[in-house]
Amino acid sequence: MKHLLAVVVLIVIVTLAVGFLLNPENLLPTLASEEGAFVDQLFSLYAFVIAFFFALIVVILLYSTIVFRRKKGDDKPGANVHGNSVLEIVWTVIPLGIVLFFAGLGAVYLKDTLKAEPDEMIVEVTASQWSWRFRYPEFGISSTELNLLNGRQVLFVFESTDVIHSFWVPEFRLKQDVVPGITTTLRLKPTLPGSYKVRCAELCGLNHAYMLAEVTVMEQAEFDAWVASEIDSGALGPPDRGAKLAGLNGCLACHSTDGTRSVGPSWRGLFGSEEILEDGSVVLVDEAYLLESILDPNLQVVEGYRPDLMPKVYGDTLSQEEIQDLIAYIRSLEN
Amino acid sequence: MTVLSLGIVRGLAGQLIGSALGIGVSVAVRVAMGLPLEVKEGAIVVGILVGAMGFMIGVGALTDWSKWMLGIETPLRLGPPEGKPSWTRYFGVDYSHKIIGIQYGVTSMVLLFLAGLLALTFRVELTTPGLQFLDNHTYNTIMSTHGIAMIAAMLVGVGAMANYLTPLMIGTSDMVFPRLNAFGFWINVPAALLIGTSMYVGGWDTGWTAYAPLSVNAPLGMQFVLLGVFLIGLSSILGSINVIVTVLHRRTPGMHFFRMPIFVWSVLATSIIAFSATQLIGLSFLMVSAERALGMTFFSPVLSPGAVAVGSPAGQVLLFQNLFWFYSHPAVYVFILPGLGIISELLPVFSRKPLFGYKWVALSSMAIALMGFFVWGHHMFTSGMLEGLRIPFMVTTMLIAVPTGVKFFSWIATLWGGKISLQTPMLFVLGAISIFLIGGLTGPPNGVSVSDLFLHDTYYIVGHFHAAMFGGFIFPFIAAIYYWFPKITGRMYDEGLGKLHFWLMTPGFWLQSLAMARVGLLGMRRRIADWDPGLGIETGQLMITIAGFAIGISMLIFLANLIISAVRGRVASPNPWQSRSPEFQIPSPIPEHSYAQPPVITGEPYDYAEPDSVYVSMSPASSAAD
Amino acid sequence: MSVATTTLSQYRAQLRSNRLGLWLFFISELFLFGGLLISRFYLWGGTRPDLDQRLGLIVTSILLLSSFFMYLAEVGAEHENRRLFLFSLIMTALLGTAFLLGVVIFEWGGEIRPWDGAFGAILYGMTGMHALHVASGIVLILIVAYNGLRGRYTAERHWGVEACAIYWHYVDVVWIFFYPAIYLMGTVPT
Ligand code: HEA
Ligand code: HEA
Ligand code: HEC
Ligand code: CUA
Ligand SMILES: [Cu+2]
Repeated sequence: MKHLLAVVVLIVIVTLAVGFLLNPENLLPTLASEEGAFVDQLFSLYAFVIAFFFALIVVILLYSTIVFRRKKGDDKPGANVHGNSVLEIVWTVIPLGIVLFFAGLGAVYLKDTLKAEPDEMIVEVTASQWSWRFRYPEFGISSTELNLLNGRQVLFVFESTDVIHSFWVPEFRLKQDVVPGITTTLRLKPTLPGSYKVRCAELCGLNHAYMLAEVTVMEQAEFDAWVASEIDSGALGPPDRGAKLAGLNGCLACHSTDGTRSVGPSWRGLFGSEEILEDGSVVLVDEAYLLESILDPNLQVVEGYRPDLMPKVYGDTLSQEEIQDLIAYIRSLEN
Repeated sequence: MTVLSLGIVRGLAGQLIGSALGIGVSVAVRVAMGLPLEVKEGAIVVGILVGAMGFMIGVGALTDWSKWMLGIETPLRLGPPEGKPSWTRYFGVDYSHKIIGIQYGVTSMVLLFLAGLLALTFRVELTTPGLQFLDNHTYNTIMSTHGIAMIAAMLVGVGAMANYLTPLMIGTSDMVFPRLNAFGFWINVPAALLIGTSMYVGGWDTGWTAYAPLSVNAPLGMQFVLLGVFLIGLSSILGSINVIVTVLHRRTPGMHFFRMPIFVWSVLATSIIAFSATQLIGLSFLMVSAERALGMTFFSPVLSPGAVAVGSPAGQVLLFQNLFWFYSHPAVYVFILPGLGIISELLPVFSRKPLFGYKWVALSSMAIALMGFFVWGHHMFTSGMLEGLRIPFMVTTMLIAVPTGVKFFSWIATLWGGKISLQTPMLFVLGAISIFLIGGLTGPPNGVSVSDLFLHDTYYIVGHFHAAMFGGFIFPFIAAIYYWFPKITGRMYDEGLGKLHFWLMTPGFWLQSLAMARVGLLGMRRRIADWDPGLGIETGQLMITIAGFAIGISMLIFLANLIISAVRGRVASPNPWQSRSPEFQIPSPIPEHSYAQPPVITGEPYDYAEPDSVYVSMSPASSAAD
Repeated sequence: MSVATTTLSQYRAQLRSNRLGLWLFFISELFLFGGLLISRFYLWGGTRPDLDQRLGLIVTSILLLSSFFMYLAEVGAEHENRRLFLFSLIMTALLGTAFLLGVVIFEWGGEIRPWDGAFGAILYGMTGMHALHVASGIVLILIVAYNGLRGRYTAERHWGVEACAIYWHYVDVVWIFFYPAIYLMGTVPT
């Protein structure tokens, strides 16, 4: 009896201590979306369930090993207890109830995260190794940064051009895989202005670690100004259009513009230079070579780089003009 | 005696010759068909498979069977080989389950150390943000190899415990199919070599899960891993069929099901998963292999012109995940059930008290094994699978907590009121319980799909499964090695070093898994070589690395203890733990035929509190003279 | 200890275990074939490629017929009727080979190639995996025939024959599920 009492007191103390330690406010990043709040609510419930079972097992375990330790020379056996059906039923039924409660709550919350609001904004997201692009059909603009309106729900529509990626902003909590061949969706309503990052959460090859995109949650005025400036950018000259295209088509995920070596060769000073190819030959980088490198990257592989990495689809996905703009841009990076 | 008389040397030679032959013939066929001389991936696949065959022929695992086919009877060769020192038994085909068990065990430890070394390597890289000495590709390769080699180490380690202990515990002298047993072990060796080689043939970058279509585009190393895992799967299937038949048919007189040592129950449950579900990882890896080598589009969603011409639909990315997880979720219970069995087996011995609720513990293993088949979707909550399926998978996942809980409660009830002594095996059992508890309790938050949408692919998950696998496999495995060490070698391990090992490893491990979970909740993603200093996880990352090294050093102490004690340890008595289990009633080291006469079971296995009750009665001829 | 000459009771005990082991192996393989079937429904859904229906029916009938001969062979072995045993065994092997040739030459010779989308992948995946089993079955039959010719089986001891026979029937049954899934279910896209 004395032992039981001691254990119960200890369990209560440890439960409370661990429970407060596990408070989600200390554990999780700031919360910035309405749907994400469900996650935090669940965590505040988990805290005490986890703390209780942790305390129960660990306290009894430690208590027993200390109190029921065999003394030297004591050869008597322990208590002759084989089991207890009532106890067995109790510790089957109570956890059963708890887990079913959580499963039910999870189902309700899951439904809630899927709820659509009437004025939701659609953002079409394209992921490819290793960059993100966002298209806003409502305004007819595209961007490599994700700008969102505070308080307006967004329906993200995801597509991947190559392998599986995963869209995740820790502050928004929920994540969704971006799967080639199918379209997936996710609804989020930002609730806290600020800047965050999309972090690709599914291993997608070489530069998975760096597959990030800036996210800014802004108020209406700022957002409108941004949309307007994006629409204006239609009137740019070829090199500037090319610069934008290089971002929107993911070229910059592999090619730097400042001379640093990345997955592919840097574009800085590329035009007019002499490139050594894998077969040892040397070519002069001119417009024809650039065109060919974009349309059929495996034809002439640069020495020291892996073939098959650069997508071979640009001949189909980009128009003639766009490719010319890109070439103009690369040309403008001549030293 | 020459080097070539060692089976393993002949096996390696066979593998080399076989690989060369396979590649050579494939290329020759290509050239004969008028195609240019080129080594395509298909040829390498043939080379790998013929190489594995070559190993098995060279080592001699197929010799008896080939003779049977020609109608030549071959007696089962038992005992040390004639004209060779007896240590050579361990390096060639031997049919004694005790030798095979040790072979499995040593292979598992080798894999564990190599994979651990890889982990320590990339931990150094991860301690600080930025790339220090690894590039992205090398990081991905060694991280993925760490994962798959650890998985392999666990499967092989389970094989070690199952093969060494099962026949002894049910009172028989061997497995029912000894040749199959030897085959099942040896196929792991070429497989492990393939996995190791993968790092030097271009590497691979998919993580152990090999998700398509990334694995379809990955460098050549991928192919080595796919086929290596396929072969390990084969070993798992054959081994578990052997275990099931042995347990069902070879129990000693009087040992009905509810008198089996509890470990045998858990091995049976494990085998039920392993002999069936394993086919699916084999199939899914084979499909990726075929997609890479032959262009058979099971998974890639891109339609080729040929496909359009015959009106074919495209491949589907999610098919891979369904096939893969149908095995790989139950597989996690393959890793832990034997470990949990060891915990249940050792607790009564060191508490001198019956196992609390024997039947419930026995049946909970079965429940975990069977329910494990219906939860695979919880790895795919974010994958874009049918939305309606998330809820049923959430419910089934949560239900697994119930039978696992039954085990925990029975364990602490067994401790309560016992006479507990804290020798090294018991320390590791208690450590295992505390760590598996962390692994277990971090499971349900992943199982609730809403919170998994946050947790998926973060270090929280990494923390969850390291805790589950350390608590459920590594710690019990170590406990088992300490516990049966006197039975295996006839000598005692060093208690002081054992305790030092424990007191370094356990806090190290707590720190490691908690820090992992912590950085994960703050936004640390899995499988990245470089992390963002903006997340506020510097201390956490440093902790994980320090803890990893503490574990590494403790493992070196462990290794030293085993080697020194095996050679120079104090001679052990046949039953140093006063265990009631049959194998402790015979001399140490265990004689070649274990039981001269089948022991007879006349009581309950865990009546430690009734000193007069008898579990095993040995016929006079074979009982230990102590 | 030599076990070269086992007593009949030892042989029977081992036989019982062998049977169980073999059946467990079949259950295990069920998961492999089941996985392929599921992949077929996952990828093809309600469609199927345009295959030669007559060919499908012919190879299926050949395989079923072979199972009948396999049965006769086992009866022959049980009654130590060597002529029936060997004749039926050879017939089984011939029919099995005819099936294999039908699959490899005619079915695989059609217009669909393995790399033609999901049609090619699943078609070759399923028939290939099955053909591999048929081929290994034929090898087993030849080994059994070789030993039978040398009179190594008796009415009591013919586990080799029995195992080979159950294996053959099992592979047949698998085809009974594969055949409709490949040839009959779903519509051909136009
Ligand atoms: C040894 C291995 C092992 C074990 C035992 C477990 C056990 C469990 N695992 Fe874990 N898991 C892994 C190994 C393991 N897991 C691995 C390797 C991965 C990652 C794979 C990858 O992507 O690489 C993974 C990933 C993983 C995921 C996917 C996460 C993601 O990627 O998004 C999920 C989701 O549901 C999950 C859930 C569970 C649950 C519910 C259990 C349960 O079985 C736990 C049950 C135990 C307890 C709950 C504790 C004891 C119970 C009580 C004391 C009773 C009372 C408790 C309650 C009422 C809660 N695991
Ligand atoms: C049994 C399984 C097992 C074990 C024991 C371990 C042990 C360790 N693991 Fe591992 N781990 C996995 C299974 C395991 N892991 C799996 C399946 C993955 C997923 C992979 C994937 O995502 O695909 C993973 C992933 C994984 C990651 C995530 C990588 C990422 O997502 O990018 C990390 C990161 O810290 C990590 C770290 C460690 C560390 C530090 C140890 C340490 O405990 C290791 C300790 C070292 C040893 C046991 C070796 C013994 C010591 C020596 C050989 C000498 C040491 C020398 C000195 C001390 C000088 N592991
Ligand atoms: C996934 C990575 C990746 C992406 C995305 C990518 N490239 Fe590349 N690119 C490479 C690699 C690797 C090479 C070097 C190997 C080769 O020559 O094929 C390369 C080479 C080139 C070259 C030749 C460079 C030289 O030094 O000769 C040009 C030009 C080029 N890319 C243009 C582009 C353009 C334009 C885009 C986008 C529309 C793009 N790339 C997108 C990886 C990429
Ligand atoms: Cu994209 Cu990771
Ligand atoms: Cu799982």
